[in-house]
Amino acid sequence: MVVPILKQSDVLIASIQAALTDADLLQLRDDLLAKVGQYRSRGVVIDVTALDVMDSFATRTLRSIAEAARLRGARTVIVGIQPEVAITMVQLGLVLGAVSTALDLEEGLELLGALNRKDAPGG
Amino acid sequence: MADDYARAERHLRDVAEYDVERRRRYVDLQPIDIAQIGELREAILNHLDAHVEAFFGYLAQYPEASGLFSRRNLLEDARRLKREHLIAMVGGEYGRPYVEQRVALGALYSKVRLDIRLFLGAFQALSRSIVNQIMALSPGDGPKGFQRSESLMKIVFFDIGIIMDVLIADREQTITLQQEAIRELSTPTLQVRDRLLIMPIIGVLDTHRARQLTEGLLNAIRANRAKVVVMDVTGVATVDSKVANHLLQTIAAAGLMGAEVIVTGLSAEVAQSLVTLGVDLTKLNAVGDLQGGLEEAERLLGYEVVKTRVQVARRPLD
Amino acid sequence: MVDEAREGLEGELLVPIERDPDVVTARQKGREMAVEAGLSGSDLTLIATAISEVARNILVYAGHGEIILRQLERNGRRGVCVIARDEGPGIQDIPLAMQDGYSTGRSLGLGLPGAKRLMDDFEIVSEVGKGVTVTMMKWRR
Ligand SMILES: Nc1ncnc2c1ncn2[C@@H]1O[C@H](COP(=O)(O)OP(=O)(O)O)[C@@H](O)[C@H]1O
Ligand SMILES: [Mg+2]
Repeated sequence: MVVPILKQSDVLIASIQAALTDADLLQLRDDLLAKVGQYRSRGVVIDVTALDVMDSFATRTLRSIAEAARLRGARTVIVGIQPEVAITMVQLGLVLGAVSTALDLEEGLELLGALNRKDAPGG
Repeated sequence: MADDYARAERHLRDVAEYDVERRRRYVDLQPIDIAQIGELREAILNHLDAHVEAFFGYLAQYPEASGLFSRRNLLEDARRLKREHLIAMVGGEYGRPYVEQRVALGALYSKVRLDIRLFLGAFQALSRSIVNQIMALSPGDGPKGFQRSESLMKIVFFDIGIIMDVLIADREQTITLQQEAIRELSTPTLQVRDRLLIMPIIGVLDTHRARQLTEGLLNAIRANRAKVVVMDVTGVATVDSKVANHLLQTIAAAGLMGAEVIVTGLSAEVAQSLVTLGVDLTKLNAVGDLQGGLEEAERLLGYEVVKTRVQVARRPLD
Repeated sequence: MVDEAREGLEGELLVPIERDPDVVTARQKGREMAVEAGLSGSDLTLIATAISEVARNILVYAGHGEIILRQLERNGRRGVCVIARDEGPGIQDIPLAMQDGYSTGRSLGLGLPGAKRLMDDFEIVSEVGKGVTVTMMKWRR
């Protein structure tokens, strides 16, 4: 299951379409990080609406994507965490660390804009 | 009537053939009983109106049964069904069709909220009327009258069993519906304006309600695309550590969905239990009262420049 | 508890855990069985996530093993039972492995303690050199 990655101006959008194996998640990480460098993206939105579970591996991988992307100059926002998934993550003890979240793609893009304006010199 | 049949149908799903058989076994209905009832058929059919009257005459004495008498067409239906009932009662066939008729009548009683005790009284009056007639049929032969009455009584109890089941099942369903309604009322979410929800929590928060609150809140966030939720706990006097922990988890889960929760109206006692939990409260955005909470929410949602700065300061979930 | 799990009869499903996609299969089957047992809402996600954790542990620490899924009924209450079993190296110090953040795999160390929090019943037995069996249950509310 390959996760399609869309480029929209300086933002990369990865929309997960179905359940992912651990290998798929690692593939997503590698693809995203490569593309961040390739396009010099300023932001990454990962849409997890269709993800059936967010277990410790998925969370750790998304966190590592966000951290590595940040080192390469892009902010990451996770969007679409469903109510059941959110409550499960909390009970499992998972935290997303410094990763930002938003309700959906639209919100995520808006939040990225705000984050980047703040990062910008004089912003 | 359509309504009654809908109710009856619901119950009928449970009336399987084996169930009918079991019910007959429970009242020990034997071929000899059916033969004895056959001997009574004609006499009872000749007195049908008197027996029907015994039933309704009994009910008419009680204002509690007015639900049945205030609605003319219902009463007519009930009388008709009761006549059919008596005809079937001495008809000798006590299979599924017979049970279905009883269920339909039971559904009607349930609809007019006939008190179970009143129903039993009326049914007793009806039985007495029939037994009196049976005894009069064999003057001078008490044992014979007694045996015939006994056979008929088996049918009477067979009927009571069915009606009881219908009344109880309907009552249980009503209770379930009420409980659901109360539950929903107890944790409402109100949309104040675009992207802003208020969730006032009133009363005792136990584990069960806390769980509903979580699901209610998270689903409301998604449904309303809420960005900020003001959770007002002014009406909550105490919480135990389990519930307090649950509240914090809910707030964290809302955060994962991209919504910020502002808690207002924390009483001294509740604040104390949160502190003694020993969990990280730095992420808890608490404001003294509802008014202040709404102002804070407006600020979070408000003017773009302000919004940007505030969000950046608050978004990280760590 | 393990005995009781063994008694659950209604439907039983064995999912071999040998490769990465098997973890996804196991959690999907677990979710389906939970639906059959009358569970709903976030409970389905809780179960699927707990399965994901123990199934991954099988792959990572034991190489291969199996997940057994069963429907349960106790006093008229229904539920599902998940057994994760392998014949890998086992766990030497179970209380340590059950601590939040403890990991020999340089991962988050939340799989076992987290799965325990997600489920209603949780039991782990292990003999060093012989493998690990995790038995967990979730009941309908
Ligand atoms: N099936 C298993 N076989 C052997 N060791 C295991 C198994 N499952 C878990 N462990 C041990 O328990 C530790 C904690 O597991 P877990 O809580 O899932 O966290 P993590 O997998 O992130 O390390 C693992 O690091 C490993 O040492
Ligand atoms: Mg693990």
